[in-house]
Parts: sequence; C-alpha cells; structure tokens
Amino acid sequence: MAGGLARLTTKQLLKDYPDCQIYGVDSRYIPPENIYDERVQTRRIRYTRGHFEALFRDHDFDTVLHLGRMSHNRMNPRASLEQRLDYNVMGTKIIMDLVIKFSIKNFIILSTYHVYGAFPDTPVFLDEESSLRASLKYPELRDVVEMDQQASNWLWKNQQNVKGIIFRPCNIIGPNISNVMVEYLRSKIAPLPLDFDPVFQFINENDMARLISYAVTNIPTGIFNVANGNDVMTLHDAKKRVEKRHIPIALSIIAPLFRLINYSPWSVPDYLIEYLKYSCVISAENLNKHLPEDFFKFDTEKSLKALKN
Amino acid sequence: MKTKKIDLDLIFEELEKRYPRGRDPWGLNLKEARKILTRILPFYSNYFSTRVFGMEKVQDGPYMVISNHSGQIAIDGLLISTAFLLETQNPILLRPMIERFMMTLPFFGKWALESGAVLGDRQNCLNLLKAKESVLVFPEGVSGVSKSTHQFYHLQRFTRGFLRLALATKTPIIPISVVGAEEFYPFVYQARSLAKLLKLPALPISPFFPFLGPLGAIPFPSPVDIYIHDPYHLPEGVSAESQDKVLDEHIFKIQRIIQEGINKGLENRRSYMDNSKRLALEFKEGIVSKLQK
Repeated sequence: MAGGLARLTTKQLLKDYPDCQIYGVDSRYIPPENIYDERVQTRRIRYTRGHFEALFRDHDFDTVLHLGRMSHNRMNPRASLEQRLDYNVMGTKIIMDLVIKFSIKNFIILSTYHVYGAFPDTPVFLDEESSLRASLKYPELRDVVEMDQQASNWLWKNQQNVKGIIFRPCNIIGPNISNVMVEYLRSKIAPLPLDFDPVFQFINENDMARLISYAVTNIPTGIFNVANGNDVMTLHDAKKRVEKRHIPIALSIIAPLFRLINYSPWSVPDYLIEYLKYSCVISAENLNKHLPEDFFKFDTEKSLKALKN
Repeated sequence: MKTKKIDLDLIFEELEKRYPRGRDPWGLNLKEARKILTRILPFYSNYFSTRVFGMEKVQDGPYMVISNHSGQIAIDGLLISTAFLLETQNPILLRPMIERFMMTLPFFGKWALESGAVLGDRQNCLNLLKAKESVLVFPEGVSGVSKSTHQFYHLQRFTRGFLRLALATKTPIIPISVVGAEEFYPFVYQARSLAKLLKLPALPISPFFPFLGPLGAIPFPSPVDIYIHDPYHLPEGVSAESQDKVLDEHIFKIQRIIQEGINKGLENRRSYMDNSKRLALEFKEGIVSKLQK
C-alpha cells in the first residue's frame, strides 16, 4: 500500500466501485497522503502468517489484490535474494492459502514479464505459454519465477473456487512508480549499451491501475501478459525521451568483466543488463480479447516524457 | 549517385506508409535502416555488381523467399534484401532470418535488427508471416553458408520447418538462386572440429583468414547474380501437420528448382577477376581525378 501503483489502484477502485471498502497493508511506512477517504484503511504490518490470518479473519474480504513484490535492494543487489525469496515466495503462498481458507471470490496477483528472461534466442512476442527462463542465467530472479509458477499452479488448481488472475506486465512506468526500470531510465549514471539497442514495451502506471480495477469484475481467470499493443520503443529512443544523461558503453565487453569481479559501478541489478542487451517483447493478444478497444489511454511517448522531472 | 538518392526517398516514403511509427516490435528502425542501406548500396551495385533476373515475377507479397546460402558470412542475405527493396515495383522489406550466433555479436546484432533482420526462430517466423511480412529463409541453415571449397554450389539438405510455416500461414513461396557469393572467399576449409571446440557455429579458414586478422575477412569482389524463380504454389491437400514424407516431395521440388537455377547461373557467371580489374581501374581513375582537382 506504500507504493505508487497501490495508491493509484486504490484511487481507481474508489472511482470504479464507489461502494467498496479498501483495506491496504504494507510492511513499509505508508504515507498518510495514501489514504484518500473514509473508505480506505491502511495498516503497517510485518508479513507473517499470524498477521495475515488475523486480517482475513477480521474482515470479510471479497477481493484480494497482491501487488507487492519485494524488488532487489538497490544498494546491494546480490545480498537480498534470501529475504526476497522468503517475502515473495513464502509470503505469496500464505496469502493464497488464506484466499482459499476464507473463500475469497477474486484474487489478482502482479507478476512481471521479467519471468520470461531475455536471451539472444528469445523470439518476438512471447505469449503466456512461453517458458519462464529468467532464473536460468540470473539466480536473483529466482523469487520472481518461483512466485509466478506457484501462483499459476494454485490458480488452475483452485479455479472452481476462486477467480484468479496473474498479470505479467511489461515495464510499468510513471512518475509515481520507482521500480527498477523507472530508476534506470531516470538515473544519470546508467549504462546505455552502445552495441545493442533492444526493443522495450512500456505501460503507464495509470493504465495499469485502471486494468487492475477493471479486472476485478470484467476479466476471467487466467494468466495475462500486459502491454499496450504494438507500441514499442528501443532503449536508446526511450532514454532520449526521458532526457537524462547516460554512459554509452559496450555492454558485451564491460558487463561480464564487472560480473566476474563481483562489482557493479551502476545502480541497476545485474539481471537488468541482460534486458538491456536482448529484446524481450511480449504478446498481449490474450488480454486484449477481454478489453474494450482503446482501453489504454497513454502511449509510450507520453509516459516516458512524464519521467523527465 | 543522385538517382539512387531519389530512389531511396521514394522507397522510404513507401515503407513509411507500411510502418507509420518508423519501427516495429522486431527492432526495425526505418531511419537507421536507411542509413545502413546507403552504406550498402555501393557494395550492392558496384563492388559486387549485383544483377537481378526475374524480379517481374514478384508482386506485393507477403512472400516466403527461399534461397541457397553461400559466402561464409551471409552477405548473400544482405544483397537479396537490398534487391527486394530496390528492384521490385513496390519496395518489399524482406525480413532475413538470421542465425542465433550472429545476433549475439556486438553491433552486428543491433544493425541487423534495425535494418529488418530477425532472429531465425520458428515462432518469430510464424509471427512475422501472420503480420503479413515477407521473410527470407535459408533452409540449408549454417551448413549452407559454411561450405568448404569442394562443396561450393552443392545445396545442403533443406530443413522442413519453412514449408510447414508457409503452409500454416498460406504464404506463397518464391525460390531464388544466388550465384557468385561462394567466391567471396574462393578457397575455404571449414575447421568443424575446432569450431565445435570453440563453440562457434562455423570456422572458415582461408589463405587470408584468420592469418591476416580482420583484413583477411574482406570478401573478394565477386559479381553476384540473383535469379528469381516462379512462385511455388502451395500444394493442395497438404497441411502444416502432414507427415514428413509428404512434405519431402515438395521440398525436393523446391530444392531442384534452386539447384537448376544455380547450374544455369554458373554457365553465365561473370569472372571476378574482370570485376576486380574494373574496380581497380575505377579506383585509379577516382584517385587521378581527385589529384587533378
């Protein structure tokens, strides 16, 4: 609930479902401005089975939105894997068990397109059936892949009892979000590969929030890639739109060297370097079948320009 | 050169109509593609003195263009793609399917994607054909491009995937034969065991490469002829799910068309010594005229 996407989603849910009551939790400090009105309650809790169980017992939830995923630690990307595995995999398992135990009707979980991994042999337009290969090369993505796989198994196993949706969005960007990609685009010391110019897909934070809210009542059980049609942009073009300085560098030479000496001079995690080298373009055809035409309101150009400040 | 520039304007105007954003999800970047094409043009028309026969058989597409592969470093793909842009009535941006290893090469992968090439992957090919793009496929694969001298102009075994994809998407097939590209490196020995050891798809050794380093990789100015054959009509009653033996019959037919085209082309092949002499003369004249100025 402390994150930008949760805040925007709350706002959207209140707009789309005026009678709803929202209960938001986070292990981080939740700024007071995240509470919009009396329909929203927030609480800072430690993510333990006991705390979650108490929450589910005390409130008659109808829908659970699991948007929180612990990202890599910016200062020390390699050290936090164990903690992230615990939070992302074990934490998600606890929530999913409780969803079944307390007969929740809708469960939406936010995964990421990073689960597919970026490799030289990745074809363009990965659909939801594609293999989740991200952790083959980078163990720091193990939590992301395991969480997704665990949720996928759970979803099909329990589809008779609960409507479950897994979203695998492309890069969510916007001024309210501070994920790895936004940090990278805004950073002044980020490496920009001279020798590659991969294709990226971006989705605006507001569009993502609208999609989550829309999905509560309008999208059936399933796993869905999320991208704005064929609206793509190469990394070099994206960096230009954000108008931040960058370090042009031949990543194919430099990146393996830094990996070998276990040192990163830049603030982006090692795994992202792979995505800076190879395109990983997803197909959102499956999702589009359930959306009205022109559902997404922000094109990539606009979304990137919003990151300028 | 002025005429070429005007042609390029027209060609890219047409391409901009097809790709209004100037780029696509496969990495095509029209602005960069134009720059790359401008650099390729002198090689296409002068250095390799490329001639194209039968381009009138090509309509607007989409097509699956099937060619023999030769020349060690896939320059043939570059020349075929350039021919389809320059010599067709309406420019066709062919999407050459490139070997995985090539895509990992720094800078090369970037330029290849920007100019329209794509990773040679079944799913990629299928998605392109579904999007009504024309693709260029070399069904011989790496074994086609990396031949030793004694194998020059002998087609290697075609894989079946291309026919299945053409059938699945009902895309017409255009077979073509390329003559002249084998002589880019006239004396080659393929060190297959060493390549395997170094985890490389191929390792051509010539009198100049790798002994002269990058200089040894400069191709000879062998004149290239591209022969476009009649479109191969997709067989009735055969589907993408048909058994291998059913498909093989048609693959052999396509292979024969291409091999016959090569044999015929070899009879009319131009000498690369003549082409080299012409280039040397032009180079000399160029220097003289510069000195006179």
